[in-house]
Amino acid sequence: MIRVDHLHKRFGPVHAVQDLSFEVLPGEILGFLGPNGAGKSTTLRILSGFLPPSAGAAAVAGNDLTQRSIQARRATGYLPENFVAPPELRVGEYLRFRAGLKGVRRARRRRRVAEVVELLGLGPRLRQPFSALSKGFRQRVGLADALLADPPALLLDEPFGGLDPLQRQEFRELLRVLADDQRKAVLFSSHVLPEVESLADRILVIDQGRSLAMGRRGELLARLEQAPRQRLRIAGDAAALGAKLPEAFPGLQLLEQEGGELLLQLADAEQRGALFRWIACRGEEVHAFHPDTPTLEDLFRVLVADADADAGEEEAA
Amino acid sequence: MSAFTALLKREVFSLLVTPSIYLLLGVWYLLNGLLFVYALDFSPEVQSDLSLLPQYLFGSSLLVWLLLPAFPPLVTLRLLAEEHRLGTVEPLLTAPISDAAVVLAKYLSASIFFLLFWGGVLLLFALLASVGADLDWARVLGGFSGALLCSLLFLATGLFASSWSGNLILAAGGGAALNYLLLFLPAITENADGAVGALAQATHIPNMLDRGFAAGLLDSYAAAYFLGLSALFLFLTWVRLVSRRWVP
Repeated sequence: MIRVDHLHKRFGPVHAVQDLSFEVLPGEILGFLGPNGAGKSTTLRILSGFLPPSAGAAAVAGNDLTQRSIQARRATGYLPENFVAPPELRVGEYLRFRAGLKGVRRARRRRRVAEVVELLGLGPRLRQPFSALSKGFRQRVGLADALLADPPALLLDEPFGGLDPLQRQEFRELLRVLADDQRKAVLFSSHVLPEVESLADRILVIDQGRSLAMGRRGELLARLEQAPRQRLRIAGDAAALGAKLPEAFPGLQLLEQEGGELLLQLADAEQRGALFRWIACRGEEVHAFHPDTPTLEDLFRVLVADADADAGEEEAA
Repeated sequence: MSAFTALLKREVFSLLVTPSIYLLLGVWYLLNGLLFVYALDFSPEVQSDLSLLPQYLFGSSLLVWLLLPAFPPLVTLRLLAEEHRLGTVEPLLTAPISDAAVVLAKYLSASIFFLLFWGGVLLLFALLASVGADLDWARVLGGFSGALLCSLLFLATGLFASSWSGNLILAAGGGAALNYLLLFLPAITENADGAVGALAQATHIPNMLDRGFAAGLLDSYAAAYFLGLSALFLFLTWVRLVSRRWVP
């Protein structure tokens, strides 16, 4: 439904997007995860038809964005990061205007506006001007706008920004319904890990315009699980113990040390038993010793750190 | 067509609910009203020949020289520059509507709205006729048509300036500067020798308004000049919008 092939975007000397390729299928939610300035919004702006790519191709519903821009835009519902509507228009007026602009036939327009208004709970706000709405309701109007023409693909740039926890939950449920029941292909960007983790079927991690990893949550976390991590808390001098461990156990890395607690990355799972015996033989008072379950945040940190290191090496070369 | 109509309606509506537009309209009516009264009460030429009145209001009077280049950009400044400033340009240009339709809908809405400006002046003549004045309606309607055509050109330059950025001062100032250039450059160089002088005479807007339209003549050359130049500035506005999608 949404296809991106070797997409590049340059702004002068800055490479905002580099060789990005991915696909979003009908009924699938792809979470676009990356720090601020990673190239998420630029990619979505290219897919929405607002910006042209510098190289590569992108298509929505089979319509190439440069060759068949209007058809591609007709197949896309786009919620920009900072969605704004003309302040002089009331919510109802704005949605009717947008429905007309998106080619919803006059006979269907009123009914379609009523449907999205009901879906997003905008009924009580219909007569309010956009400028009087809270951030949460503005986002709802933006999403209502994106849904008006019932497009098969949705592009949502930071859709959870400014929403309170309850609104986030409602938004997540709504997007799930749109993907599961209406088979819409949803591509949403976020730098908030829990949002991506809880909603996306697949996750694309991006930094400095490059794709770092893509896959289902479990597939991505499996990368970290190949190198098991162990959390250890002792009563004694954790810093001194942490300094000795890498010498005693080849391949073991000290990831963190805070107070009496250490986070270790083991060379393999077999090291766990040997490590426990070694600490016990030293007479350390162990308060906690358990495997550390990796999270998406850990993966994100590792991927971004690796990418930064690679970029540093390239720059030095 | 549906998308074009929807945008046109919204633009006309937005102009209708913009308070500053009514302030402009008020100033416009006030100044034209004062000129109308002045011409009737203090101009011996008009007092002796009422058929010269259209030249005062639609021709090359001081108002045309000073106000007409400035007012249209004040109407058009919000059409694209305001969209850039507010950030509403992104939802607009990602909707399934062509850039040409966006430019035309915005231009047409400003043109329809500008009819109010000149329509009010035309009403002054109707008022005069209603109290028994013997008017030369060919001159009145000719002058009205010429002023309207000239306004169409100045609205097109204003829309072009409005497409540059989200800076409203640049949009209004740039449009007015272009209009004053179109008005004054031929006037300054009309006595020059050779091709420069000939070109200046061929593009002298007040002469077109005075000697053609306000004299009751349908000047096809002047009409083509206004419409052709308007089309050129609309094309440049379209290029400005579309280049955002084309230039990688």
